[in-house]
Amino acid sequence: MMGGLGGPRHLLEAEAQKPQRLGATLARFGFYFRKKWFGFAFAILLIVIGTWGQVVTPDLIGQSIDCYLLPNPSACWFDTINSEISNADRLSGLGSLVLLLCGLFIGTSILQGLAFYAMNWSGQHALRQMREDLFAQIHRLSLGFYSRNEAGNIMSRITSDTDTIQQMLGFALLNVLGGILLIGWVAIKMLQENVPYALLSLSVVPFMAIATFYFSSQARKAFRKTRQQMGSVNAGLQESIAGAREVQAFNREEESIAQFVRTNAANRDANVRAATFTSALNPVLEALGYVAIAIVVVVGGLSVLRDQPLFGSTAISLGLVFAFLQYVQRFNQPIQQIAVMWTNVQNAIAGGERIFNLLDEVPDVTDKPDAREMPAIVGKVELVDAKAEYKKGEPVLRGVSFTAEPGQTIAIVGPTGAGKTTIINLLPRFYDVTGGAVKIDGIDVRDVTAASLRRQIGIVLQDSFLFSDTVINNIRYGRLDASDEEVIAAAKLASAHDFIERLSDGYQTVLGERGGGLSQGQRQLIAIARAALANPRILILDEATSSVDTRTERLIQQAFDSLLQGRTSFVIAHRLSTIRNADLVLMLKDGAVIERGTHTELLAQRGAYYDLYMSQFRREEEVAA
Amino acid sequence: MQAQMGKPQAQRGQKAGGGSGGLGRAIAYLGAQRKSAILAYVALALATLAQLAVPQLVQNMIDAVTSGSIARIIFKQVPEPMQAAAAQQAGTTIEQLRLDQTNAESLLINAALIIVAFAFMRGIFSFVQAYMAEKTSQGVAFDLRNQIFARVQRLSFSYYDQNQTGQLMIRATDDVEKVRTFIAQGLILTAQALLLLVGALVILFFTNWKLSLVVVPLLPVAMVMFMIFGKVSQPLFGVVQRKLSALNTILQENLAGIKVVKAFTREPYESQRFDLAATDLMAQQLRISKVFSFLFPVIFLVAQLGQAGILYFGGRQILGGTLDLGEYQKFSLYLVYVFFPLGQLGFIISLMAQAGASASRIFEILDAKSEITDKPDAQELPAIQGKVEFRNVTFRYFGSSDPVLRDVSFEAKPGQTIALLGATGSGKSTIINLLPRFYDVSEGAVLIDGHDLRDVKLDSLRSQIGIVLQETNLFSGSIRDNIAFGRPEATFEEVEAAAKAASAHDFIMTFPQGYDTSVGERGATLSGGQKQRIAIARALLLNPRLLILDDSTSSVDLMTEYRIQKALDQLMQGRTSVVIAQRISTVLNADQILVLEKGQVVARGNHEELMESSAIYAEIYNSQLVGDADIAALESSSVEEA
Repeated sequence: MMGGLGGPRHLLEAEAQKPQRLGATLARFGFYFRKKWFGFAFAILLIVIGTWGQVVTPDLIGQSIDCYLLPNPSACWFDTINSEISNADRLSGLGSLVLLLCGLFIGTSILQGLAFYAMNWSGQHALRQMREDLFAQIHRLSLGFYSRNEAGNIMSRITSDTDTIQQMLGFALLNVLGGILLIGWVAIKMLQENVPYALLSLSVVPFMAIATFYFSSQARKAFRKTRQQMGSVNAGLQESIAGAREVQAFNREEESIAQFVRTNAANRDANVRAATFTSALNPVLEALGYVAIAIVVVVGGLSVLRDQPLFGSTAISLGLVFAFLQYVQRFNQPIQQIAVMWTNVQNAIAGGERIFNLLDEVPDVTDKPDAREMPAIVGKVELVDAKAEYKKGEPVLRGVSFTAEPGQTIAIVGPTGAGKTTIINLLPRFYDVTGGAVKIDGIDVRDVTAASLRRQIGIVLQDSFLFSDTVINNIRYGRLDASDEEVIAAAKLASAHDFIERLSDGYQTVLGERGGGLSQGQRQLIAIARAALANPRILILDEATSSVDTRTERLIQQAFDSLLQGRTSFVIAHRLSTIRNADLVLMLKDGAVIERGTHTELLAQRGAYYDLYMSQFRREEEVAA
Repeated sequence: MQAQMGKPQAQRGQKAGGGSGGLGRAIAYLGAQRKSAILAYVALALATLAQLAVPQLVQNMIDAVTSGSIARIIFKQVPEPMQAAAAQQAGTTIEQLRLDQTNAESLLINAALIIVAFAFMRGIFSFVQAYMAEKTSQGVAFDLRNQIFARVQRLSFSYYDQNQTGQLMIRATDDVEKVRTFIAQGLILTAQALLLLVGALVILFFTNWKLSLVVVPLLPVAMVMFMIFGKVSQPLFGVVQRKLSALNTILQENLAGIKVVKAFTREPYESQRFDLAATDLMAQQLRISKVFSFLFPVIFLVAQLGQAGILYFGGRQILGGTLDLGEYQKFSLYLVYVFFPLGQLGFIISLMAQAGASASRIFEILDAKSEITDKPDAQELPAIQGKVEFRNVTFRYFGSSDPVLRDVSFEAKPGQTIALLGATGSGKSTIINLLPRFYDVSEGAVLIDGHDLRDVKLDSLRSQIGIVLQETNLFSGSIRDNIAFGRPEATFEEVEAAAKAASAHDFIMTFPQGYDTSVGERGATLSGGQKQRIAIARALLLNPRLLILDDSTSSVDLMTEYRIQKALDQLMQGRTSVVIAQRISTVLNADQILVLEKGQVVARGNHEELMESSAIYAEIYNSQLVGDADIAALESSSVEEA
């Protein structure tokens, strides 16, 4: 399964803004709306009704003329009138018409408000679900994925892509849907009245479509560049924030600012270039809209003036010209709106596609369908001819075998890159072996659930990652249901209690980002306390003793000694004392165990370990003696 | 964590007072984009005036058709003798009708050509307006981002102790974009809406002032509503940005600490935390939706009710004979231009509220006072001789009552090495953070060659100090760029020499591209030891008179540690050095050792003196320092690094 590590590195970098699989993506969007489908359906229903209201309104207003202002019984359907209607009747009729209109307006306004909220309601729920799914996927993906993809990249995909979707929801979607309905309705009405006249009047529509596609595809290309530039701007910002201390220490403010201004300017220029296309679309559509008006009046007008029907259809009356003029004008606005939203909608669909790509990424390490719970671990650990590679064809472990009996301490030594970290990554199944097997109490780790396995393994990593939370919560991370007393006991075991007590708010002190405000040694002590609280059967210590001052190190050493008691432990060892106390020392080189045994046995072999010892540890031992 | 983030922001938010002032300040940035801004607004004015002419132009076309068609009907359907009377009834003369009929087609075509030509012109103005507005807004965003960047570069360390990267990033990106959108669209739309509104009102007034009185009362009602909605929704948008930051912080932490999350199988716990934040964000978004699902329809309703009012009162006037139908129709055409901008303003309110909230968040950064700044009369620090003095220094971190350093005094003569020894948290790092004035002392003074650090220019101080921090940050760029970080003008030979002295040259040469190998996010992955040696080379290249070292090496194997030690020894030769000591060689070679405990110097002297006088030192020495191999003494080295 680790063979999959060499997979598509470009997965998240795929910059294709154009939706690739439109149908599938839309279907999956639909899937996210399924739980709150009634909100969505309700919104659609309301839009249909609201659009109907919009459609009816001009007709009703027209009735005011036909029925009351210039009474024309044949054109009046709102009221039964005769041509001799009195002025008082006209006014009261007009009054009731206006009242009806007011009722219609109030009704459609309420519908619009409800539709807007219903759309947002189901949309925001869908968006939250998407975010939560993404977050869960982040946890599911194995470490191999993170070695292939930058965290910053994943992060920006999740935030900016959900943002584009967020922007499309609500207003934009409502407008587009309402606009499409309106256009459809107007087009049908026109065609019903007079087909050739309608077709001529609508002849600008293909040009509008062409303009929309042309400008939006040009804009998309231009925006691809802006996204790259924006990436550089963000990277520059991120670096300057993360490295602000160094920048100040080396007096590099002016240079970094100058450099940032250049990146920032490139971003601005790319955006301005893209603006050429986005700015052109609307004026072009508007101009085409005026052309449509001119066509309606000229074609209709000439037909009226010459009394010639168009292509053998029914004669065009002056009233029809007016009606078409109104239709065309009502046509133009939604078309412009949709065209403007078009880019947004495309962006959102493309963003959705990238989100779904991330969701579809298959984790390298997954539980088997029939995986069972890892029973309570006794502590026997076996590696049987374990092989591993991060990239295909570049093995980092070439068949490692050893057995650790319950309670034993295994020290792993060897130069950087020999495969020490890989071995300890295999035990909690951060990676899977590409050959051989890792067995705990005789059970292949691939046959049990990762959660039940990891729960019983404690790990102290070299970088002691802490969360920006209180000290007590950071320790409690090891076992969430631990009482305060248990947390403090663990802190005491890890020799962390004393310094924690000295912090401004003691255990309630809130740490900065990644444990900021503490020294590395202090962070490590908290990480040890966290592992101690978990009380695991198997313990993994990764180069944990190398970054602190001597006094703290003694504390850590003590903490380790008490932590190691009675557990099967694996230590990437630095210190002679650890190695000497180990039940088994594995000397690694180039992904293979080249020597094994206790410290004394290995020395007697006079091999590679002996050389290492002679060059680095002997003096230490002499001084100690 | 959320509580911690929320609190200071809430306080700052209140201080910013709603933030409409923030938006005003953002708009003032237009000044720097004068040229394109003026072009945008002139084009806008022209395009809007042109828009006001549309109904008249359409009317011209209609008139051409109507009069032609009336003439045709009269000539065709009315018997010859009665034509004159019919013409009179239609309000014209028979001669005029003849003229109308012959001219109708050419009039119509001319009117159509005019409207097309006009559409073309208006298209150009609209394009110029949109393009220039975008250009202007990009210019404003450019300036804002540059200022944020410059600010971020200069903020003191204590600011970073209190603020999270994720939070600052959201402000520099998302918030800037929201302000930019407002300036590109919102501001222009506002100008357009107001121009259209005023223009249409003037036309209405001249058409029929009595009828326009029906419209006028609606305007203040709408304006008051806008203001209320603006006031209500802006804080809501501020909260959204804050909740978004909180969500992103969790996300960022989980990405950075994915191994810990997995190791402790805390996925469910973290998911719960995230779900809570996501639900929180959603609830806030829905709160805003609620406001706007009320606002938008209400604004349209006001416009529509106005229309209905005009219909009724206009109708009454027509029936009463004080208004004719044609005039009324023209009136209703222009009425659209009164109500359309009102709807637009409703949309603008949402943009404005959002941008206002974002603008105040941006100015919070720009207004953040760096506690460490040059005094107005700060002097250049002359070339450092190397005398360093701490005079009764007490230091507290911001917001903390417990001092981390209490009354610390010591003096280092030029060329001496001062070793700091003590437990984690005893104040060693604080001492070395005070020397380059990353923080200012709370009491007492730090002097270099007799100059109080607060009296000299920061640049002149820091440029003469070489620093190797415990955690090494490299920047994207080549290895060479990183070594030359403190002196970009250094020659390649100098860079190479520094790398050699820092024992970095050999491993650099193992990369195919050698010194041009790029590092940082997209570059090669360097081990902790390699990074540290680059950091040492970086400090070495400055050839500083004063050296500050946190010599703890993180995650390196023994061979590397030995090499780093050698590099550090080389580095300290002939310079005043203040070192956090981890190794016995450092301690043995130090001219003065300060043993720190709980922020106080509990013992001082050289190794021999301390062995006799200080029980604590002797204890530390015996129990730990001798436990560390004095690897500097090991001359034979055969283990190769991978």
